[in-house]
Amino acid sequence: MDTILSINNITKSYGAVKALKGVSFDVPEGSVFGILGPNGSGKTTLLGIVMDVLKANSGNFLWFGQPGSPQIRRKIGSLLETPNFYSYLSAIDNLKITQAISGRGTSNDIDVVLKKVNLYDRRKSTFKSFSLGMKQRLAIGAALLGDPGVLVLDEPTNGLDPEGIAEIRRLIVELKDKGHTIIMASHLLDEVEKVCTHAAILKTGNLLTTGHVDEIMMDEDVVELSAADTNALINILKQMGKEVVLDDKNNTIQIIFPKGTAKMDEINRYCFDKGIVLTQLVLRKKRLEARFFELTNN
Amino acid sequence: MKQKKRTMTSLIRTEWLKMRKYSAFWWIIGITALSYPGINYIFYMVYDNLTNQPTQASKLAKMAVGNPFTFPDVWHTVAYFSSWFVFIPAVVVIMFISNEYTFKTHRQNIIDGWSRRQFITSKLIDVLIISLLITLIYTAVSLVAGIANHERLIRDTWGKSYYIGLFALQTFAQLSIAFLIGFLVRKAFLALGIFLFYYMIFEPIIVGLLKVYGKDSGKYMPLEISDRIIPVPAFLGKLNTPEKYQEALNDIQPHVLITIILTAIIWFICYWVNSRKDLK
Repeated sequence: MDTILSINNITKSYGAVKALKGVSFDVPEGSVFGILGPNGSGKTTLLGIVMDVLKANSGNFLWFGQPGSPQIRRKIGSLLETPNFYSYLSAIDNLKITQAISGRGTSNDIDVVLKKVNLYDRRKSTFKSFSLGMKQRLAIGAALLGDPGVLVLDEPTNGLDPEGIAEIRRLIVELKDKGHTIIMASHLLDEVEKVCTHAAILKTGNLLTTGHVDEIMMDEDVVELSAADTNALINILKQMGKEVVLDDKNNTIQIIFPKGTAKMDEINRYCFDKGIVLTQLVLRKKRLEARFFELTNN
Repeated sequence: MKQKKRTMTSLIRTEWLKMRKYSAFWWIIGITALSYPGINYIFYMVYDNLTNQPTQASKLAKMAVGNPFTFPDVWHTVAYFSSWFVFIPAVVVIMFISNEYTFKTHRQNIIDGWSRRQFITSKLIDVLIISLLITLIYTAVSLVAGIANHERLIRDTWGKSYYIGLFALQTFAQLSIAFLIGFLVRKAFLALGIFLFYYMIFEPIIVGLLKVYGKDSGKYMPLEISDRIIPVPAFLGKLNTPEKYQEALNDIQPHVLITIILTAIIWFICYWVNSRKDLK
């Protein structure tokens, strides 16, 4: 798998505040790459640097193996921070400017993306007359213009209603299926967990972890079990020397193993030998949210 | 070369897309198109009152200065009076750059694929387009005034038409100063305030004070540098001191050079600052 974006040891300071402290990671081709972190973690700063609106103090980045340049940026559909358009111009005129600068798409493509983001009926309305959600949708439309192979989206669901959020999620999955690479900064972990294949977690300018989402979340094996007699199951698991967590609501039990050490067949045989027939035995992924808090709270 | 030409065409096209539906731009062009004939008509009336009196002095004055609104002097006369109103197009120049900051499109244009250099070039094109339109209005007013005051004996219609070039240079130079202020200050009203204060109050006072103390070093103040490329017209200049008028004419050439140098420095600053700073 080729690398679309390679970030190497980037640092950035705003006066005394160090926004990024030597961040490095690679974005593989065809991935949906989530950049996660609490507010002020450096997500937007990092995207600003790779799109050349901010200057890094040190370090470098490569797009498609080459240093960033206007020619490369024209191939990337981007939405950074807020939707930035000329307020006195209509949706269609604003996209004409995006098209003129980026060289992406044709006049027909403008209509196509406006339909895709449900703004075609309002294409002649000025940007200033749009609601926050409509502005966001126009920005997504601009990023999609000409169907670029790489998209950089900073908080793409900002200001959208639940239906709009679901639409964007569907769109991202659709683009991923077509082989596009999407780099997405977000603090909405549920959103990332649902669509991202890879992620990098930032906190106060430091990279905490990066990799495949499954790898990030599976730092340990969480085994979920249940049986007709929950108390008996708890007792025999305690005999195994494991710490047992009871989920009262679902009447299930969780035990934790170091990553890669949970042997499901052995657990099943052990319980059966002790006279307990399991009704459920699952190796669970930890929720990204839980993993995120673990990482960012340390 | 072909690539450069294509890039330039694309920049012009993009700026035109931004400009053509910006109502303030058309209002300003409209106001300029009214103010230029207006101010020149007022001074024509002043001249007319001065020289059409049934007195001997009036006839002598007319003989001495001629009609400044006939060819070829009309090019100079209209250029001088029209140049007083450069603050009108300056408003739209400042609006064009401060709009980019307000809408954050100075970032978006880069994200979409312009280089930082191309962004400043696009703004340079804005200032050039506005200067060109203003010069066209001046040229039209000069032609109309010249034709309206046509005297059969004077055939040298284009004799002083080099004032078109001088007027264009002066307009571009002074609008470049307005642009620099807008570019650095970012906020439209603050930039407009600073420019108007500097243009109407600060620099004239400094130049005036230096004159009072017998020094002409005020001619090197940023706006005065280009003001001197269109000196006071003959009918005002000659009535006072012919020597000083000649001196002012002699100053045109060196001031053209200094104006070009200053304007080049202004744009160099814009390119340099924009290439280094974070676009916030």
